[in-house]
Amino acid sequence: MLEIKNLHAGIDGKEILKGLDLTIKAGELHAIMGRNGSGKSTLANIITGRENYEVTSGTVKFNGNNILDMSPENRALEGIFMSFQYPVVIPGVNNTYFLRAALNSKLKHNELKEVNAADFMRLIREKLKLVEMDEKYLSRAVNDGFSGGEKKKNEILQMLTLEPQLSILDETDSGLDIDALRIIAQGVNNFRNSERSFLAITHYQRLLDHMKPDFIHVLIDGKIVKSGGMSLAQELEEKGYSWLEA
Amino acid sequence: MKQFQKEFNALLEYWPDEDREFRELRLKAFDQFKKIGFPTKKWEEWQFTDFSLIKNSDFHLSWDSDIPTIPKNIPGRIQDTYLILIVNGHYQPQLSDIPDEVSVVKRKEHFKKNPELYSIESSSNPFLSLNTSMMNSGLPIYIKENAIIKRPLQIIYLTTNLSAKLMNHPRFSCQIGENAEATIIEHYTGSTSSPYFTNAVSSINLEKNSRLNHIRIQEEDLNSNHTAFTSYTLDNQSQLEATYISSGSLLFRHNVKLILKNKGANATVNGLSLTKTNQHHDQHIIVDHASDSCQSDQLFKYILSDRSSGVFNGKVIVREKTKQTNANQSNKNLLLSPNALMNANPQLEIYADDVKCSHGSTTGQIDSEALFYLRSRGISQQRAMELIVSGFAKDIIDYIKNTDIKSYISEYVFNWLEGSMKNV
Ligand SMILES: Nc1ncnc2c1ncn2[C@@H]1O[C@H](COP(=O)(O)OP(=O)(O)O)[C@@H](O)[C@H]1O
Ligand SMILES: [Mg+2]
Repeated sequence: MLEIKNLHAGIDGKEILKGLDLTIKAGELHAIMGRNGSGKSTLANIITGRENYEVTSGTVKFNGNNILDMSPENRALEGIFMSFQYPVVIPGVNNTYFLRAALNSKLKHNELKEVNAADFMRLIREKLKLVEMDEKYLSRAVNDGFSGGEKKKNEILQMLTLEPQLSILDETDSGLDIDALRIIAQGVNNFRNSERSFLAITHYQRLLDHMKPDFIHVLIDGKIVKSGGMSLAQELEEKGYSWLEA
Repeated sequence: MKQFQKEFNALLEYWPDEDREFRELRLKAFDQFKKIGFPTKKWEEWQFTDFSLIKNSDFHLSWDSDIPTIPKNIPGRIQDTYLILIVNGHYQPQLSDIPDEVSVVKRKEHFKKNPELYSIESSSNPFLSLNTSMMNSGLPIYIKENAIIKRPLQIIYLTTNLSAKLMNHPRFSCQIGENAEATIIEHYTGSTSSPYFTNAVSSINLEKNSRLNHIRIQEEDLNSNHTAFTSYTLDNQSQLEATYISSGSLLFRHNVKLILKNKGANATVNGLSLTKTNQHHDQHIIVDHASDSCQSDQLFKYILSDRSSGVFNGKVIVREKTKQTNANQSNKNLLLSPNALMNANPQLEIYADDVKCSHGSTTGQIDSEALFYLRSRGISQQRAMELIVSGFAKDIIDYIKNTDIKSYISEYVFNWLEGSMKNV
């Protein structure tokens, strides 16, 4: 589903990713771990199409198509989603209105009938339950006055609503208490199936304990230096990253 | 100036048997106008605005022959409101619908009763002098004490079907009686292929414990120039909620002077200015806290696209020895184009101690983080920008409580955005 080959990329002339390879197949959940500043969010931003990053070489393919020249919205419509490390507040833009606009652009793209306000409310109330979110967050502006945990739940709510093929979770677990972490992990786990893939960026084993990734990769200085299964996470928890550094 | 002199002479001739004192007022005002002249770049309070378009144009006053056939569907008409209709400067009583609690007063009587409302002695604003000398339109109204007028009163100044370059100097005088409550929409709208000039003056007095919701909509044709002076005086415990929505005219200058004259008066003044092409909107707001326990809140937002420009100059004055003053002023501007320009100057003049004040001004572009966030959810760039920009305007619109007015303005702002964001 996602195939990244020899990716070199940076920002403002500074190289951040230095030859990264990663392949994620349908149904798989991959985790990327690494120190702050190792380039994890950069990778997520490049896959989702944030402007200002320069890709100097390499390819990123999604379902066989090169996506690097696609706009962020077209990537999203093709099925790529990112749960933001720092969700953005958008003053004056109602959360429900935004969620419905997003869903309807997707439905329209897939040549399906757009959903009206009443049907959408029914649908979103079901999804809200899955992330144990209060309905009051629907009537606020996007992420406006949301606590850290509510912002992350709102990201997962969007994932559940838009039903992407590839979900990138950028430190969705950071700053969550144990309950919120459990709810979010459960939300993701219930959403998993043989067609959907995930890339979870995290610092902590506890998220991985909940999610049971198929592969764990360690990113150091813009490259994946080691890949393995759950035991690698345990090793990292005990020994840190220094033993992997050159 | 020659053209204005010519028109002034014609006006004196047209109404030969006007009241003597009123005529003296006109003469005095015109003298004052000539003495002051048009603002130049050297005048500090006017420096960002070029008035040569008005000065050098040959506008003539609107006569009876300038009344066009009036369209059946009156442009700008808001549902479920009373109406005072003025077309090309001419009041249309047969098409107006005024509630019993509102009395329309004759100009002469109003002047005799309230000469101070016509005084120009302490003014250095040439457009006030000009309006006073040539006032040819607009009505004085009085809202009876204790009257509670449920439906809004919409005053439409429509300019349409011009055969020549017209000017009008509407004068709106409005007194809200004790304990009365009303919503008044002062609505300037126009659509014409000929340039025109509106120079409006409104003086609004809120008596004790009265409440006024004042909505001012300026959607004149882009061919026009619009200068205006609005003054408010607020008596004990009176409450004003004013909202200005302005998208029209090539050149727009609005001076507002609001005096919180007696204890416990409370005023909220919000404004949304929308400009495109080479439009220029210049608003100067003075809020004068002259008594105790008064509160004022201002929020002015500008959305500027293309090569348009804006000026916001807001001043809050807190007079000596006043107590328990609460004054807030905020100005936020969104530039949709690298060629748009904003000049903001919020000021405080505080001569008392017992004061809670806040003020600030920010100017920025569309937040690229917010834009990426929306696009990453599959929303097109164009639509995402529209959402962000209408989100920026939302708090001003939400402040309007009457649902008919609110839906009119929401639609109007939405249409403006859709029309002007295509080129961004
Ligand atoms: N917008 C930016 N401008 C300049 N440098 C950046 C920018 N974003 C990230 N960086 C730099 O790129 C490196 C990788 O950052 P990031 O991908 O956010 O790391 P991580 O998510 O792994 O903590 C860091 O050194 C960071 O300072
Ligand atoms: Mg990061």
